Amino acid sequence: MTQALTQAQAQALALLRERGPDPDAESALLGQWLLTQAGLDEAGGLVTVAPGSAHDSVALRGERLSGTAHRVPWADEAERIALLLDGRVVAVERAHVTIHPRANLAGDARDTVVFEDARAQPGAGMEPDELLMRGALTRIALMAGALDRVYEIAVRHAGERRQFGRPIGAFQAVQQHLVTIAQQAALAGAAAATTARRPGGFEIAAGKLLANRAALSAGRAAHQVLGARGTTREHPLGQLTCRLWAWRSEYGDEHRWSTTLGAAVARAGADSLYPAITGGSTVVSL
Amino acid sequence: MLRFASSELSDAELALQGEVREFLARSLPRGSFAPGLGMAAARDQDFSRALAARGWLGMALPRRYGGSERGVVERFIVVEELLRWGAPVRYHWVADRQTGPLILRYGSDAQRERFLPAICRAEVSFSIGMSEPEAGSDLAAVQTRARRADGGWRVSGTKLWTGGAHENDWFVVLCRTSDEDDRHQGLTQMIVDLHADGITVRPIAYLDGSEFFNEVLLDDVFVAEELVLGEVGAGWAQNTSELALERAGPERWLSSYLVVEQYLRERGAADERARAALGEALAGWWGIRALSLSVARLLDAGQAPAAESALVKELGTRFEQDVLDAIWRLVADEPDPASESLFERLLAAAILGAPSFTIRGGTNEILRSVAARALRA
Repeated sequence: MTQALTQAQAQALALLRERGPDPDAESALLGQWLLTQAGLDEAGGLVTVAPGSAHDSVALRGERLSGTAHRVPWADEAERIALLLDGRVVAVERAHVTIHPRANLAGDARDTVVFEDARAQPGAGMEPDELLMRGALTRIALMAGALDRVYEIAVRHAGERRQFGRPIGAFQAVQQHLVTIAQQAALAGAAAATTARRPGGFEIAAGKLLANRAALSAGRAAHQVLGARGTTREHPLGQLTCRLWAWRSEYGDEHRWSTTLGAAVARAGADSLYPAITGGSTVVSL
Repeated sequence: MLRFASSELSDAELALQGEVREFLARSLPRGSFAPGLGMAAARDQDFSRALAARGWLGMALPRRYGGSERGVVERFIVVEELLRWGAPVRYHWVADRQTGPLILRYGSDAQRERFLPAICRAEVSFSIGMSEPEAGSDLAAVQTRARRADGGWRVSGTKLWTGGAHENDWFVVLCRTSDEDDRHQGLTQMIVDLHADGITVRPIAYLDGSEFFNEVLLDDVFVAEELVLGEVGAGWAQNTSELALERAGPERWLSSYLVVEQYLRERGAADERARAALGEALAGWWGIRALSLSVARLLDAGQAPAAESALVKELGTRFEQDVLDAIWRLVADEPDPASESLFERLLAAAILGAPSFTIRGGTNEILRSVAARALRA
């Protein structure tokens, strides 16, 4: 399952971590990657991927697609929409579908796409988990980057904001929040760095789990540090935390990844437990 | 900004890891000994000697003192394997981790010649003489006092929580040698013989009834001038650098590891709740280990990552408690300390040991304050 990233994909992943969500980078890492894997032509404009929601009802009959796909990022801007249906990749032109704009918690486009006997291009087969892992890889990078910025915002605010005659960072109770944020940002950062280097199943599962947990605890701590100021629509903290919460649910929540990881090491047995912690996907496959 | 850079182990480092695993599987096979929980493992000088014979004690010490000059990351790899195996590390633990490097850095040539080769051969054992009844987290409040005497010093006072004082040979005592306006001045470290005249060791029963910790009374104990460690009056800085050696290593996140491994061995992961707990634990170890390893890399690069170490220890010790709780929740029966099941015995021992995870080597509250000083824009 470990598939090394091409140089272009590695650059796109680094860009997600440095700058946040970006349709082109995501297209390179997910949409175009999916088409290439399926033997379809990846050349051309933006390819977005329907992540596959439990509420989706899409069926392929011959080369015609019908039904509804939910939570599709930037569907309106894309040239093509790629889906993984019953273990098979399909691509549909944007022009052949109807789009109902929807958004995630942060206001980023997560559209509903309706296919009505739309002409589809079927490609080769793929394990559904492979897309889930690729998607999680992108979310780990995004979340680690967002947490780095959350950390910077919280530390700067704690040093500048004065109450009771001193910077609030002088209070131990506030310092403890900063420590939590630093720890969680460091964990997510380690997850992003390791998965970028070695995008194996074990690493991605563990990494998404850590990023998800970090999103919750660091987000909560940062909002406490910023107080009411962090809760407005224009403050950069709010946009970051809203995105973190949205990404927490995308491409595998904690339950999904913890049970997958737990089942994999249970299969491998107790003697493989520590080797798995040190060797990850070189020891255990999901 | 904090410096954590994740890294992979090199081929040479992986080879060392393989050697240690092979050694443990052969010389200390599962089922042939009672595994311990991290640093709280058994004491076995013969086992420590076997490690010494392979060059796995004093790994960061120079060859001319019997060390193997292999650095912090390589010691990390060896220690990690020993702890997760539950190996009996107690005889050499303090000497190998901190007293050896401390004497190398601050000791006289004579002290180095006298103690370091013996540490590397597992022929001398050390305790830590820092805490006192009135000096816990606030270590500068130590009241043990040394007064000049003919040829050395006379030391009086009380040390507390001195692990292994009843079974070890020496301890490094932080004491006051003069009164200064700045209470961080006037402190000195001395290497004190635990069998000297005037020393009384009184055991303190821990929660589980074991008597590893002690109160050590020093009543006019003579310490020869050549056993003063480093500079008279500079003990605070030395002690701080010694504490840095105690933080962020694998012993700060592996204390409850064997509970999880043995749970899996005896009970499997039959239901989803167990698999989720196991997956959460794995992810936690995987992430914390990456941070802990990156601190070891910083130390090898000659840096002094005090804040990073404090952050990792605070995170790791809380994780040790959380992971234990997650496994405990999977068990309906009350854990029996005398159970026939090794898992149950380990669980019971870990439950009783857990309160000390977040206290020993600096409480989490102190560690957060240490780390917070580095968290500035």
